[in-house]
Amino acid sequence: MPNSILKVENLKKSFQIAGGLFQKKQYVNAVIDVSFEIEEGTTFSLVGESGCGKSTTGRLITRLIAPTNGSIVVDGKEVATAKPSELRHLRQTVQMIFQDPYASLNPRMKVKELVGEPLEIHTKLSKAEREKLVLEMLEVVGLNAEHADRYAHEFSGGQRQRLGIARALITKPKLIIADEPVSALDVSIQSQILNLLKQLQQEYKISYLFISHDLSVVEHISHYIGVMYLGSIVEIGRKETIFNEPKHPYTQALIASVPIADPTLRKKKIVLTGDIPNPKNPPSGCTFHTRCPFASDICKQAIPEMRKINEEQSVACHFVN
Amino acid sequence: MPEHVLRVIDLETSFTRDNKEIKILRGVNFSIRKGEIVGLVGESGSGKSLTSLSIMRLFHGTTGKIVNGSIHFNGHDLTKMSESEIRKIRGKQMAMIFQEPMTSLNPVLKIGKQLMEAIEMHLKLPKNESKHHAIQMLKSVGIGRAEEIIYEYPHQLSGGMRQRVMIAMAMACHPNLLIADEPTTALDVTIQAQILELMKKLKEENETAILLITHDLGVVAEMCDRVVVMYAGQVVEEADVFELFASPKHPYTKGLIASVPKIGDNKEVLDSINGQVPSPQNMPNGCKFAPRCNQAMSICHQESPPTVKISATRQCSCWLYVKKDVEVNA
Amino acid sequence: MTSPTTVQNSQVQNTQRKYSPLKEFWKSFKKQKAALVASIFIGLLIVIAIIGPYIAPYDPFEPNYNALLEGPSASHLAGTDEYGRDIFSRLIVGAKISLMVSFSAVFLGLILGTILGLISGYFGGWVDKIIMRSCDVLFSFPDLLLAIAIVALLGPGINNVIIAVMIFSVPSFARLVRGATLNAKENVYVEAAQSMGASHVRVLWKHIFPETISELIIFVTMRIGTAILAASGLSFLGLGASPEMPEWGVMLSSGRDYLGTSSHVVIMPGIAIFLTVLAFNLIGDGLRDVLDPKIKNN
Repeated sequence: MPNSILKVENLKKSFQIAGGLFQKKQYVNAVIDVSFEIEEGTTFSLVGESGCGKSTTGRLITRLIAPTNGSIVVDGKEVATAKPSELRHLRQTVQMIFQDPYASLNPRMKVKELVGEPLEIHTKLSKAEREKLVLEMLEVVGLNAEHADRYAHEFSGGQRQRLGIARALITKPKLIIADEPVSALDVSIQSQILNLLKQLQQEYKISYLFISHDLSVVEHISHYIGVMYLGSIVEIGRKETIFNEPKHPYTQALIASVPIADPTLRKKKIVLTGDIPNPKNPPSGCTFHTRCPFASDICKQAIPEMRKINEEQSVACHFVN
Repeated sequence: MPEHVLRVIDLETSFTRDNKEIKILRGVNFSIRKGEIVGLVGESGSGKSLTSLSIMRLFHGTTGKIVNGSIHFNGHDLTKMSESEIRKIRGKQMAMIFQEPMTSLNPVLKIGKQLMEAIEMHLKLPKNESKHHAIQMLKSVGIGRAEEIIYEYPHQLSGGMRQRVMIAMAMACHPNLLIADEPTTALDVTIQAQILELMKKLKEENETAILLITHDLGVVAEMCDRVVVMYAGQVVEEADVFELFASPKHPYTKGLIASVPKIGDNKEVLDSINGQVPSPQNMPNGCKFAPRCNQAMSICHQESPPTVKISATRQCSCWLYVKKDVEVNA
Repeated sequence: MTSPTTVQNSQVQNTQRKYSPLKEFWKSFKKQKAALVASIFIGLLIVIAIIGPYIAPYDPFEPNYNALLEGPSASHLAGTDEYGRDIFSRLIVGAKISLMVSFSAVFLGLILGTILGLISGYFGGWVDKIIMRSCDVLFSFPDLLLAIAIVALLGPGINNVIIAVMIFSVPSFARLVRGATLNAKENVYVEAAQSMGASHVRVLWKHIFPETISELIIFVTMRIGTAILAASGLSFLGLGASPEMPEWGVMLSSGRDYLGTSSHVVIMPGIAIFLTVLAFNLIGDGLRDVLDPKIKNN
């Protein structure tokens, strides 16, 4: 892929959940063999339900947690095995927007300190210079200068999320990881923020890794999509292809499950049976086989490989392959 | 036309904070017929949850109280009933399920015990019969291994299972009205689909009317027969679901439907509604939506619009639809 | 560049006037009547401690063999002691010593304990285990015995009293701050700061430490009371200030022999200690009602 800002290969993360000195160690595999690339100026979304590992993947890329295995290349530099001191470059190039607009901003800091903090950390600008950049950034995200002296809790959810975006943008990063950035917002506010994100992408050529469980939002904002289930990507490709012709049974069920805001389109659902398995006790072989309408013996035994179906789409499924 | 199960008329509810009474619901009007699914839609601050709590009179430990209006349920006015009379209705003729099944189920009691408690209290069955009934209810909500679940605790079940248990508890006494407050918001999308299917099936089998409270327009479009749209403590539009989505009348409804991203829409830019919901302490004069409305006229900022009956199935509270020479509905 | 999604200027919610944390605090604290009175008392005490030597009616060290063991009177407000020294003047100058000793000991303990607590709570792992187990060891000794042991090691004297009281304060502060740190660590904005590239020091100083301040303030005021008692106790036992110093505990001790006959020699310093410790505790209670997040959220 030309100009890829992020390349993730065979990323793996296991957490130790039990055991220690005298007990047998137990692990949960949160992220299993995840690979994808993001081109400059595009949005790649990771979509999936609880336990799929999408949030963990986001945190691995910013190195908030260290990967168990695999490679993460950001803007040409390998990050997975980098030492903490080498991560400075990463932290300027990659910034994060969080889900909860109420919790992600320190309630004791004024807006100008909050939004200016990345500058304080990464640059040697004077306080006045930082403030100037902060005021500019506030305008860019649709707030204004008189807000700079206030505290975060004086704002509404949508405004706070704009503050989070301003803070993420201020060091001119190349990649922003947005972890469920609109899930906690009202629908009419959600659309404001999505429009803002799209506009900023066009202006600043930022790439987004957009993490969400909301397929309608994902469809609106993405160029490429990766569908995750219990730690693995089951299908990946261009958004239009995935939505128009989903190949993996899970993707098909997922898209079909989303209620559409149009009663004339009430459709026959592919209602999956059973619950999402607990990541601590995943099923054998293809982890989706317990709920898959097409499961056969091989699905219980072997983990399917990711195979390219066409230029725009790759699927990991025995049935499809 | 089937009869009304619930009629809410001019409901006003307030809370007290710092010794000041703050009105949250400012005259809510809607009704539900037998076997209907009515969607109560709104964003935060609309008062939709408070409406359901007012209907069930679940104000314990809060300063909430109904200050005006009436709630007619099966012929009785709930606002005039005593606490003990309401308790006889709650759980039996009228039941509620909540968003967070973990906090509505008692974590230290086994599932069976909680289910049987409701059954014994309202249906007055002896213990062995109520246990059998409980198992039947769990099976009817799609829980296969009901005989084992009876002995388990809430935390041992997944979110979807717990919600099914809640539905079983709510349906155990075959209520006339089920109030579902954001029942699938906390669930994964594929699980949500299961629960919504289940609710549809139960409605068909039992002819239960459902008041479905949600902010998710997709769920409303999938499930509901009629829709009531709320904003800032009032009903702004009420319509048949097909009518509402095909041609929304109230500017808020229009804005809301236009801001929802729909799969297959291919919109570059989503419509949005400028500004935000006013807080109950700072309500504007006149129409509460006027400050955000792109079709506001001068009268909108001065006086609250009356409710206009646009058709047999449709009402809207907006000055745009008030004909100067025609008598309007109060 | 105008954004199509510009938020209207007037829509910043809830602010008719600007929000100030200090004003909010004062508004709530004013309602705590007992704490307010106690604060005034302590305020006066601090003023007296500073200007004491200049306003004391008599020289606290000068004996007056003509006026031994006189009860309270117009000329000697609190009476005289066994050397004829004016007890009131001695109390005034003693205030300075008591406050100075307890403040220094507590603040030194606070600084050391806070640093240990922050490190322990934030980094966890074996650092946490070592620090906490050491604190446990110190905890297992009763306060006063520990102080006595330390002074016995270092030798008597006011400075060693300060060190002793400081040492037995450290574990309490460390544990308190560690608890608050563990809580604060869970906040999403801490994660946000880390993902921004903030160094550990920055995260601790700007994002975690401020969360511990309210609990610390409450604890400090309580602890000062304890420190005053401890210092007086040590002096009473002869391990602290030297006998001619007008330290309250020393006055208690030397007045012991006259308890039956001229009880005012003991009662006066006793009252002083009692009132001061009570005042600090009342302030602490008042602060807790205002600042404690658990109570605030109810």
